[in-house]
Amino acid sequence: MAQHRISTKRRSLMLGAAAAALTQPLSVLAQGAEEIVIGGSIPMTGVFAFAGVGINAGIQDYVKIVNDAGGIKGRKVRYVPEDTGYKVDVSVAAFKKITSQNKVNVYYGDSTGFAKTINPELERNGNILMAGASFASELNDPKKYPNQFLVGPDYTEMFGILLKHIAKEKPGAKVAFVYSDSEFGRDPIEKSEAAAKALGLSVPVKIMTPAGSVDVSTEVIKLRRAAPDYTIFHGYILAPIPEFITQGKQQGMKSKWMGTFWTMDSSTVMKMGEAGDGFMGVMPYRYYYDTEKAPMLEKIRALRPEYQSTAYMQGFLAAMLFLESAKRCLDGNKPLTGANLKAALNSLKDFDTGGLIGVPITISGNSIPVGRVYRADMKVQKMVAASDWIKL
Amino acid sequence: MRIGTLKESYVADAALFDSRTQHAWLAIAAALLLLFPFVASDYWLYMACLVAINVASATGLNILTGYTGLVSLGQAAFMGLGAYTVAILQTRYGTPFLLNLLAGGVVAMLGGIVVGIPSLRVKGLYLAIATIAASFIAHFLFANFQITGGTAGLSLPPARLLGVDLDTSFRLYWLIVPVTLLMLLGAANLFRTRIGRAFIAIRDRDISAEVLGIPLLRYKLLSFGLSSFYAGIAGGLWAYFFRVVTPESFPLSMSIFFLAAIIVGGMGSILGGILGAVFMTMVPELLKLVVDLLPGGAALAVFLSPVRLVVFGALIIGFLVFEPLGLAEIWRRVRRFFHLWPFRN
Amino acid sequence: MDWAYLFEISLTGIASGGLYALAALAFVMVYKATRVVNIAIGEMLMAGGYLFFTFAAMWALPLWLAIPAAVLACGLLGAVIERTMIRPLLGEPPISVFMVTVGLSSVLIGLVEMVWTADQRRLPEFMPSDPIMVGDAFLAPKVFWGAVVAAVFIAAVLLVFRYWRGGVALRATASDQAAAYSVGINVPRVFSLAWVASAMLAAISGIIVGSIGGISSSMGVFGLSVLVVVIVGGLDSVLGALVGGILIGLVEALAGAYLGGEYKLLATFVVLVVILMARPYGLFGTHEIERL
Repeated sequence: MAQHRISTKRRSLMLGAAAAALTQPLSVLAQGAEEIVIGGSIPMTGVFAFAGVGINAGIQDYVKIVNDAGGIKGRKVRYVPEDTGYKVDVSVAAFKKITSQNKVNVYYGDSTGFAKTINPELERNGNILMAGASFASELNDPKKYPNQFLVGPDYTEMFGILLKHIAKEKPGAKVAFVYSDSEFGRDPIEKSEAAAKALGLSVPVKIMTPAGSVDVSTEVIKLRRAAPDYTIFHGYILAPIPEFITQGKQQGMKSKWMGTFWTMDSSTVMKMGEAGDGFMGVMPYRYYYDTEKAPMLEKIRALRPEYQSTAYMQGFLAAMLFLESAKRCLDGNKPLTGANLKAALNSLKDFDTGGLIGVPITISGNSIPVGRVYRADMKVQKMVAASDWIKL
Repeated sequence: MRIGTLKESYVADAALFDSRTQHAWLAIAAALLLLFPFVASDYWLYMACLVAINVASATGLNILTGYTGLVSLGQAAFMGLGAYTVAILQTRYGTPFLLNLLAGGVVAMLGGIVVGIPSLRVKGLYLAIATIAASFIAHFLFANFQITGGTAGLSLPPARLLGVDLDTSFRLYWLIVPVTLLMLLGAANLFRTRIGRAFIAIRDRDISAEVLGIPLLRYKLLSFGLSSFYAGIAGGLWAYFFRVVTPESFPLSMSIFFLAAIIVGGMGSILGGILGAVFMTMVPELLKLVVDLLPGGAALAVFLSPVRLVVFGALIIGFLVFEPLGLAEIWRRVRRFFHLWPFRN
Repeated sequence: MDWAYLFEISLTGIASGGLYALAALAFVMVYKATRVVNIAIGEMLMAGGYLFFTFAAMWALPLWLAIPAAVLACGLLGAVIERTMIRPLLGEPPISVFMVTVGLSSVLIGLVEMVWTADQRRLPEFMPSDPIMVGDAFLAPKVFWGAVVAAVFIAAVLLVFRYWRGGVALRATASDQAAAYSVGINVPRVFSLAWVASAMLAAISGIIVGSIGGISSSMGVFGLSVLVVVIVGGLDSVLGALVGGILIGLVEALAGAYLGGEYKLLATFVVLVVILMARPYGLFGTHEIERL
């Protein structure tokens, strides 16, 4: 009966609204006297969980180190994370929840999609400096994204570092790009092709694999026919790289294989097995087990005796840069607004990260265009340095 | 069971809201909806807007699947069509947002009619699979053309109403909720007309409907068109709400979400669409709350995402096995119980 | 026209089509007996792959033990699914059962993520790794052996349906449940058998697919391509699964090679739409679609 249905619809709408209004959390600003709050949309579950767990631990540990040393100019640091499962709308909801319950100064975002979506909100808020797990080239634009920065080189710069290394090792080499059909994968390809040509290298083939593809045999055939000297993979974590390498080697390819940040975690590369021996790639940070002199690494090893991933390093460094910006702001007696924090970040010249990055860094824009080429050594199950620290 | 509601004219008989009690409840509901944004925190405003968008889209799907019996897994694709249309118009031409929303609805409607054409040749599950194909083709279109910004997508400036930027959840509430209410009213009224009755006839037995003189092709395409019009407007609202539209924003899993919402809520009733959308949108938040309250919560939090998936699937299976008529039926049973309760025995 | 290239691509496409055929066989098995469209076939494949991973990599069982164990465990999963979710919905409209399988796919993904986390993993290598050369054309060994396994199983199933009493009973329940009951066939047991067999085939398919591309909680999208294969071949035709698989494998390989990686899925789905419009019951399926 139509009448009943509609009346109950009205009733349920009203009940829903009442319930929502009654159960809202108190929007009192829950904060102790003068704290620095780091908010985080962290992908602790879902497809990016291996990174999210590491990032979370990294931020937590750095905050602990700082708080144990007395905080930043007497202010304690508080870290408020929320799990997002790597979904943009959940990330945004988490952001809104955290910022409505705390006075957030700096925020860590879990993805490129989130970074782009939340940008207008950041501008409106005006009090937050944001960084995240994304290295998307689009975010490396201080005019469009004035309140954000990348904790390392962007994907195009990562390619740039690899290409510079290749041009030095083998001038005029042929470099093939293999990337995934996603925004992550497509991000640096066009600009990198131009960069390659500018360095005197040629790009004989660019192969895009559909997301979630299982069988890459046809792509390997294409790759073999292009006979590149180097092949750079981008837009993947693990699959389908080992399959490419195995089939490529079986077909007699002589190419050297390289990857970008998210493939280059030690545990990921070791999963490649035999195929991964000699696999190279760009990594802006030191690995957990690097033995070169690095005071921060020693501290990390003291806190965490078991291997920590490069995602952990990323989170740790993000927290370090966040809190250094806050410190410089407070040193200059400036209020902690987004613009001031960003200006403080950009004032970092030849800043020593305690060895996390091998050279002192300068952040003039939105990214840190520094990295080193590492190579996998399967015999010792470690990534060893294959080049010096390259700055772009 | 309402007693004492005697009607003296056809108009009064066919009215949607006919009794004093209903009018009173309506007034209270309206007052609460008006009051809500002033007392709610930003987080709850955000959730309210999201729920409203989902209600609009679920109602559209309900028209197609619940009332006409044509199963569709392409609702997200049509939302994407609407969202992209709005994004392109807003970024390139800066046209007023109401125009953009309507344009989004129309583009989605055209897409829906195109996808609906196979519905004459294929029925039931085959049609569902054809709509999955539509979903992928739409994704391909979004990801590979300059005008849609490729895989990076488009980001759009906020809608402007009388010189005010609609850029906070509070302000968007005043756009999204009235539009949703209008759409709900439209859908409810649709099923008082002969078009709506024709849809129901098609669902029950389309051969008999044709025998009765209902031109199947026209009405099936109309159903697809209407449902995707709703999806297009919901997609446009989505675009104004999130301000970033990418090909990944409207995956197949979103279509599955809406289908699950109307199954859980109850297919074939407007109330079902609303209940289902509200329920399915709030369940992940409820889960988070529950996990927070449990002791040892931090360790359990790692399982939140997979638990969400399991709960989602279990809800679909559970409702289909135990309560195929959905939450709306449970609601009706509770109402019936309370209506009779003083007089039992 | 580079014929050698075309030949090489086509060869690879046909062989990878064999992979599709095996998964499609699992699908057809269920549809043939119970008229259920099981969209969770990709997730059942994934379950098989993960079970094998548990037995072979985590518990380090020898291969000759791990593979049958994974297959049997998956068969058990199939039986449980049939009993708890499919049996109660006997007699409901097919769309309800379809939605149950949609829910099932979600549940399976969630369970896998809970137990094994969402990280991508690789399966231990167990297939021969010498490249197969046909003249100058190279064929990846895993794909080749996967196709061989698929062909063997399809041939076996075709024979089973033809000559074994159980297979005949399956076909009988498929065409008319009431008649099957009246000649004394234990219809519920036939249903269980069909689901168990389907799950076991899915497990084998999952092990092969997993050893090629690794396992992850999003492996299930393979099921969408399998759906296209069974529509093209005919929802209830075993031979159709083979032919459809090869055809779709070929189409994907050619599209990927000559048009580009982003066109692979598009080509597959365009083929689907064309088949749905022209021959909705597929190449070898039984004609039962009403035309209005």
